[in-house]
Amino acid sequence: MLKPKNDLLQGTLALLVLKTLAREPMHGYGITLHIQMVSKDFLRVEEGSLYPALHRMEQEGWVSAEWRSTENNRRARYYRLTSTGRKQLAEEEKNWECLTEAVAQVLQFV
Amino acid sequence: MSLIARLRGMLRRERLDQELDEELRSHVEMRTVDNLAAGMSPEDAYFDAQKRFGNTTLLKEDTRAVDIIDWLDECARDFRYALRMLQRSPGFTAVAVLTLALGIGANTAIFSVVDAILLRPLPYPEPERLVRIWESSRKHDSPRNVVNPLNFLDWRDHSQSFESMAAISGSMTNLSSHGQPHAVQGMQVSPDFFSILRVPPLLGRTFTAEDGIAGHDQVVILSYELWQRQYGADPKIIGAKIDVDAVPYTVIGIMPRGFSFPKIKSEVWTPLPLARTEDWKHGRYLTVVARLKPGVSLGQAQQDMLRVANFTAQARPSYNKNWSANVFPMLEDATRGVRRPLWVLLASVGFLLLIACANVANLLLMRGTGRLRELAVRSALGAARSRIVRQLFVESLLLSLAGMAAGLLFAHLGLRSLLALIPQNAPLPRSESIAIDARVLLFTFLASLFTAVVFGLVPALRLSRVDLQNALKQGSLRGGVGGHQSLRRCFVVAEVALALLLSVGAGLMLRSFSRLISVDPGFSPAHLLTMHIWTSPARYHDDLKRSQYVEHILGEIRNTPGIQAAGSTHFLPLTEKISGSCFSPADQPAPSPAESPSAQFLIISSGYFQAMGTSIRIGRDFDDRDSFSSQPVAIVNHAFVQRFYSGQNVLAKQLRVCWTIEKPVEIVGVVADARQAQLQDAPEPTIFLSNSQAPMYFATLVVRATGDPRQIARSAEAAVHRVDPDQAVSDIQAMETVFSDSVSSPRFQAVLLLVFAGLAVALAMIGVYGIVSYSISQRTNEIGIRVALGARSADVLRLVLREALTLAAIALLLGLAGSLALSRVLQSLLFEVTPTDPITLASVCFVVLAVSAFAAVLPARRAMRIDPMAALRYE
Repeated sequence: MLKPKNDLLQGTLALLVLKTLAREPMHGYGITLHIQMVSKDFLRVEEGSLYPALHRMEQEGWVSAEWRSTENNRRARYYRLTSTGRKQLAEEEKNWECLTEAVAQVLQFV
Repeated sequence: MSLIARLRGMLRRERLDQELDEELRSHVEMRTVDNLAAGMSPEDAYFDAQKRFGNTTLLKEDTRAVDIIDWLDECARDFRYALRMLQRSPGFTAVAVLTLALGIGANTAIFSVVDAILLRPLPYPEPERLVRIWESSRKHDSPRNVVNPLNFLDWRDHSQSFESMAAISGSMTNLSSHGQPHAVQGMQVSPDFFSILRVPPLLGRTFTAEDGIAGHDQVVILSYELWQRQYGADPKIIGAKIDVDAVPYTVIGIMPRGFSFPKIKSEVWTPLPLARTEDWKHGRYLTVVARLKPGVSLGQAQQDMLRVANFTAQARPSYNKNWSANVFPMLEDATRGVRRPLWVLLASVGFLLLIACANVANLLLMRGTGRLRELAVRSALGAARSRIVRQLFVESLLLSLAGMAAGLLFAHLGLRSLLALIPQNAPLPRSESIAIDARVLLFTFLASLFTAVVFGLVPALRLSRVDLQNALKQGSLRGGVGGHQSLRRCFVVAEVALALLLSVGAGLMLRSFSRLISVDPGFSPAHLLTMHIWTSPARYHDDLKRSQYVEHILGEIRNTPGIQAAGSTHFLPLTEKISGSCFSPADQPAPSPAESPSAQFLIISSGYFQAMGTSIRIGRDFDDRDSFSSQPVAIVNHAFVQRFYSGQNVLAKQLRVCWTIEKPVEIVGVVADARQAQLQDAPEPTIFLSNSQAPMYFATLVVRATGDPRQIARSAEAAVHRVDPDQAVSDIQAMETVFSDSVSSPRFQAVLLLVFAGLAVALAMIGVYGIVSYSISQRTNEIGIRVALGARSADVLRLVLREALTLAAIALLLGLAGSLALSRVLQSLLFEVTPTDPITLASVCFVVLAVSAFAAVLPARRAMRIDPMAALRYE
C-alpha cells in the first residue's frame, strides 16, 4: 500500500509518528523536526511518506487532527493521539521489541 | 477501513483536497522560514522546502489513494481475478449460472405479474383515497352486494366521509356506424364518476350535474380505442350525434388512451339519471365508487356508512332490514380473489430461489474445498481474512449477475408462455399492464444481490475460517473440511424439504383441479354455441313486443340446417353471473321483502333445457301455451324443492315472486340441478321464469349443433339478422371455451406450481447427487478397505444409500411439518381437497424419496466399482 520512499523500515514510520505524538499534539512539520532532532539527524522523515501515513492513521482512528495556530501565529494542522492510537502504539512498541530482540539473538548466535 | 468511511471520504473529497493543500502549504512555509533562519537565500529556502516534497500533486494523489483509488483498484483486481477463476472452471460456472438463472428468472416473471396486479397503485391521482361501497347482508352471507338506487341516494346525501360518490350500472350497448350494428360494453354512470377518478378527457368534456337529469341525459363519452376503431380518430366527432341503442346521442368527450375502470370493461359512458321515484323497487343493481375526504381513514368511513345504513334500514325496514354497508379500498376490491393465489405463487418461486441458492452454495463449498491450498497460499503471502472473504464474495457476485442476465432472458420467454395461459375472455384484473419494466428490473437486481449474499457469504466466511496455515502444512487438506460436509448436508436437507413443500402445494392444486373439472355441470357443453344479444330499449320498449322478439329469433335459428336445438337464458352458466330475488308461497300472507326467503332467478326461453342437455324431472318445459297474457308459470330446480318443499309435490304450487311479474306464478316443472355462477359453487335453489312472460332486454342464446358449433356461428348470426338487421350479436363462443375459461384461474395456479415444483425437485436432486458423489470421493479408501475385507457391492450400496436416505428422511419430516404449518394458506384455494389430503402427502413423499434415492444411486454405482488396490494406493 504505502511504498517506502526512505531509509526507514516499512512500518517503523507509524511507530515513530505515534511515539512523537504521544508526547504532545504536533503538526506534520513539527513531527519531522522532532524525529530528526531526537535521532541526532540519523532518521530523516520524508514529507512524501509522512502525509500519506498521517492521513491513513487518521482514517484508522489512531490520530485526530484539528487546525490551530503555532507559536508564530501560523495556521497548522495539529495531530493528537487518540486512545485507539495509544493502544496501537503499545502494540507496535511491543512488536518492535520482539523484532529487535529476535534480530539480536540471531546476530549473537555463533 | 470500513466501506462507509471510504464513501464518506469520497464525498468529502473536495473539502479534503483544500485541507490537504493548506496543510502542505503551511508545512512548506514553516520549512522556508527555518531555512531562512539557517541563512539560505529566500529563493533557495523556498526551493529546498518544495524539493523535499518531490511532486506535490503526486503526494496529494498518494495521500488520497488511501481513500478511493486503492480501494477501487483492489476491487477491479478482485473482479479480474474472479473472472479468471470462473473461466478456468466452465462446467461449474455454467451449472451455477443456469441454476441461479432459473431461480431469478422465475422470480422476475412472477414478480412482474404480482407487481402489475397487486402492488402498482391504481392509475388515478391519489388512488389510496378511492373506495368501493357495497350493501352487505348477514342473512345471505354477502359482504359485497350491489346497491339499491334509493339507498345510494341516501348514502350520497347523508354520509360525511366522502368528497363525492358515484353509481355505476354496466351493460351492453348497441351502436351503429356505417349502417353496421355492433354491440360494445357500456357503462351508465352518475355525473360525478369522472371527477371522482380525477381523469380529464382527452377531447371535449366529461359529465356535469345537468347531464344526470332525466331528459338531459342524451350525451355520450367514447373511449380512445373505440374512437380510433369506429370513428377514424376524427376530432370533429365532438358535438356530432351517434345512435346509442337506436336513440341519437351527442358525443361530448373522448377519454384518454388506456382509461379503464377495474373489472368493469367499458367503451362508452352515458349518464345514469337517478331520482327518488318508484324505480327503486326494481332491486339492487348498482356498483358504487367514492373518494374519501382528505384525512378521513377507512375505519372512519366504515363507521359513517354503518350509521347511514342504519338510517336507510329504519326508513325502509321492509326492504332494508338486516342490510348494512361495507367500504373497501378500491385496489383491494379490484384484486379480490387473485391476491392469495398470486402471493402463494410468489412465495413458491421464492422457495425455488432459496433452493437454487442452497445448490450453488454447495457447489461453491465443494469447489472451495478444492481451492483450500490456493487460499492458504494467498493467506500465507499476507492476504487478510477480510480480503479472502471479499475475493470469494466477488466471485459469487459475478455468478449472480451472470445468473441475472440469463434469468431476465428466461423471464422474458417464461412470461410470454405464462400470459398465454390467461384466456382473453377471462383475464386477471389489471393484467394488461404486465411487463418487465424498470420496477421489475430493480426487483430482479435486488433479488440477485440478495441471492449473492445468501449463497456466497456463508461459504466465503466458512472457507476463510479454516486454519489455512495448518492446511498448507499438512499437505493433505482433508482435515479442515469436516465442518463443510455437515454444512453441505444442512443445505441439502433444506433443499429437499423446500422441494417437498412445493411439491405438496403443486400436488394439492393438481388434485383440486382434477376434482374441479370432473364436476358434472348439469348440462353438456359439447356441440354448444353461445351468443349474446342486447335489445335496444327504444325499439323494444313495449313488453309484449319484446316478449315475442327472442322467440322469433330462436324460431328462425331452429330452422337453420345443422342445428338441433336452441334456447336462451339471461345469464349464461359459468360466467360468474347470478341474479337473486325474494319469493313467498302464495297461499300464505306475504312477508316483507326483507323477511321473505330468496332464490336465484333465471329468465329463460322454451327449449333452453333441451339445448343445454339438462333433464326435466317432473312436469313440463315452457311452451307456446305460456304467452305474455296467459297464466304466469315457473320451473324450479331440484335444489329448490329440497330446500323449500322437501318430500312434497310442488307442481301447481303458486308463488309470489319479487320480480316484474305481479300475479302469482304456478310451478309447472322441476329440472335437474346445474352449476350456475362457477363450477365449484354447489347448485342453489333456483326459480326459472319464461322470457315470454317476464321479458328481459338481453339474452344469451344457446344453440346445439349437430357437429362443430363454430361451423354454425355464421348461419346462426344470419338467422338473427333475418329477424332484425340492426340487432348486434356479440360474444360468440363455444360453450366448451366458456367452460375452459371458467377454470382458467385454478388451471393457471396448478400449471405454474407444477412447473416450479418440478424445477425444485430437479435442483434438489442435483443437490443430493452432489453430496453423495462428494462423500464417496472422500471415502474412497475407506470403501477400498471394506471391499478388501470382503464387503460385497450390495453392502457398499447400502453404505452409500444410507447417508442419502437419512438426509432425505430428515428433509421429509421437515417438509411435512412445513406443509402442515402452511396448510391454512392453501385451504381457500382448494376445491374438495383438504390441505392435509393423505393421498397427496403420501404420493409426494414417495416421489421425493424415490427421486432422492435415484440421485444417490447414480454416484453409488461408481462406489461399487472401486478397485481396492487402486483405492488404497490413491492416498
